Amino acid sequence: MKLHPLAWVAWLLSTLVALSVTRNPLYLLIVLLCIAIVGNLSPKSQTRYKLPTALFVLLLVTSCCFNALTVHYGNSVLFRLPEWIPVVGGVITLEAALYGLLNGCVLIGFLLAFQVIMQVITSQELVGLLPPAFYPIAVVVTIALGFVPTTIQQIGKIRDAQAIRGHRLQGWRDWLPLWMPLLIGGLERAFQLAEAMVARGFASNDRPKQIIGDQIALVCGMLLLLAGWFVRLVWGLGGVGIGAMLIGALLIGLTLWRIGKRSPRSHYRTRRWHLNDSIVLLASLLFAGLLLAPLDLLDRRSLYYYPYPELSLPEFQTWLGLCFLCLLTPIVVSLLNNPKEIGS
Amino acid sequence: MTRLVQSSLSIAIYLLASLIGVVAFLYPFFLPVLPAATMNSAHSNDAPLVLSIVVVLCFIALLVEIQGQQLSAKSVALLGVLVAINSLLRFIEVAVPGPGGFSPIFCLIILVGYIYGGRFGFMMGTLTLFVSALITGGVGPWLPYQMFSAGWAGMSAPLCRPLVRLLRAEGKQAELWLLMLFGFLWGMLYGIIMNLWFWPFVSGPADQYWQYGISLWAGIQRYLAFYLATSLLWDIAAACGNALLIAVVGLPTLRALRRFQARFHFHYEPLV
Repeated sequence: MKLHPLAWVAWLLSTLVALSVTRNPLYLLIVLLCIAIVGNLSPKSQTRYKLPTALFVLLLVTSCCFNALTVHYGNSVLFRLPEWIPVVGGVITLEAALYGLLNGCVLIGFLLAFQVIMQVITSQELVGLLPPAFYPIAVVVTIALGFVPTTIQQIGKIRDAQAIRGHRLQGWRDWLPLWMPLLIGGLERAFQLAEAMVARGFASNDRPKQIIGDQIALVCGMLLLLAGWFVRLVWGLGGVGIGAMLIGALLIGLTLWRIGKRSPRSHYRTRRWHLNDSIVLLASLLFAGLLLAPLDLLDRRSLYYYPYPELSLPEFQTWLGLCFLCLLTPIVVSLLNNPKEIGS
Repeated sequence: MTRLVQSSLSIAIYLLASLIGVVAFLYPFFLPVLPAATMNSAHSNDAPLVLSIVVVLCFIALLVEIQGQQLSAKSVALLGVLVAINSLLRFIEVAVPGPGGFSPIFCLIILVGYIYGGRFGFMMGTLTLFVSALITGGVGPWLPYQMFSAGWAGMSAPLCRPLVRLLRAEGKQAELWLLMLFGFLWGMLYGIIMNLWFWPFVSGPADQYWQYGISLWAGIQRYLAFYLATSLLWDIAAACGNALLIAVVGLPTLRALRRFQARFHFHYEPLV
């Protein structure tokens, strides 16, 4: 049974939080392993989004070399470059190289997590996650996604037609005979689609009515967000600032909800929410909360690892390491539910 | 009267969203020069994260406003097809990377924004980045910032119109030169803006990277040093690519867009 896209989004958010809060290599390793296991064993919706391994190696090498060459700090000196060379001149240290490597691992984690999401959720499901208030945008995105294959076919046809006429792509200007038929053909199709949509009564009123109340709520919401941010930062009034920002966010959210209510939505095939989805959502929220919540009771010192000025062994707290395994929840629930689905 | 109030509120939403966007991108420069007591407060460390959430919320508010005003059936169809064409250009760019940071998508975003207006240009920019991220697997934490920046490129394109009118250059070479210059500027600006969102988070040599407590001028100097060392050549390639592409396809594309702008002004009247 496939998980609901919202459950996957919750998993993605908790993974991003985990990657953001720690530079401890041991925890990072656990996160990367969890992402790799989830990515390999989850039932795929689409498999074409697979980043090349060479990209990951390149990222690691670049990040490691860049940090080592530009940060001349740390006690374990590997070698020394002449001081007269701008930017890279100076001592090259093991600490800087390791920190670069850790940053590279975090970047790879980000890319892998998004890759998993692109593999397990279809584009249509992603569009379906847009709030009802954004239905015109969802329609535009759906049209665009639907027209991409047609446009690829059109490019092929235009290229063949021009090739028959003896056209060869040699310089920049040679793209024009391909570009103009593509654009004009696309605009013609847009015209036909617009006629069909107008004839069928889509958004029958050419200029949709805007409601002043919504606009006022949006203005107030944004003002409160900005003011709250400044109050919190400049005067240090954390409570007042957060309060103002929460009210602002609530106003914008309520406006979205009101607009969404005015545009009822129907589903061709409704995606049902199952117990598995609730488990993944809950586990992701709890895990993210555990890492972010300002609770002094929890000892999370081992999350922070800083190799400067002298390399040291990273600490490891078993309970925290076990918490990181929450990222495996999507696989665990699938395994408990239907072991045959794993890796399909 | 109602229309006047709506227009005023609409302008307020645009201004506020843009102001918050500018604050979000430029905070590394002014944050350190805020009163000294602030610098040591617990809130200065999470300011970038909180600001990112604020930016996403404002972006949502701006999209609500724009889609409420602009998106009729005709706009939806036109935008959908143009976004599909432009996303495909990005797909080609991902498969066959251009020189430096050059991306062919900005040419159409700018030309569409110039002809069909700032709101349409904003939607074209944001949705092109969104759809192309879906088809190329480019969804990531950078996406909201890319969408905002590309949206600004499309939204600001109509600023060329008064100059074109002043020069009486519509359909002439001077119009093309202006748009080429605009494309060049946005090639550089896009790089400068996109660097800013991650600059405060990266570490490196002290003379190139951001730190709490540095003065405004030191912040600008460090950013310039970082930019010169890491991005200038990359962005020059992007800017030159934009200008060159507009030079090659600009005038015929403008003619086609203008022709279809007139054709899209059709209305269905009920017979009874």
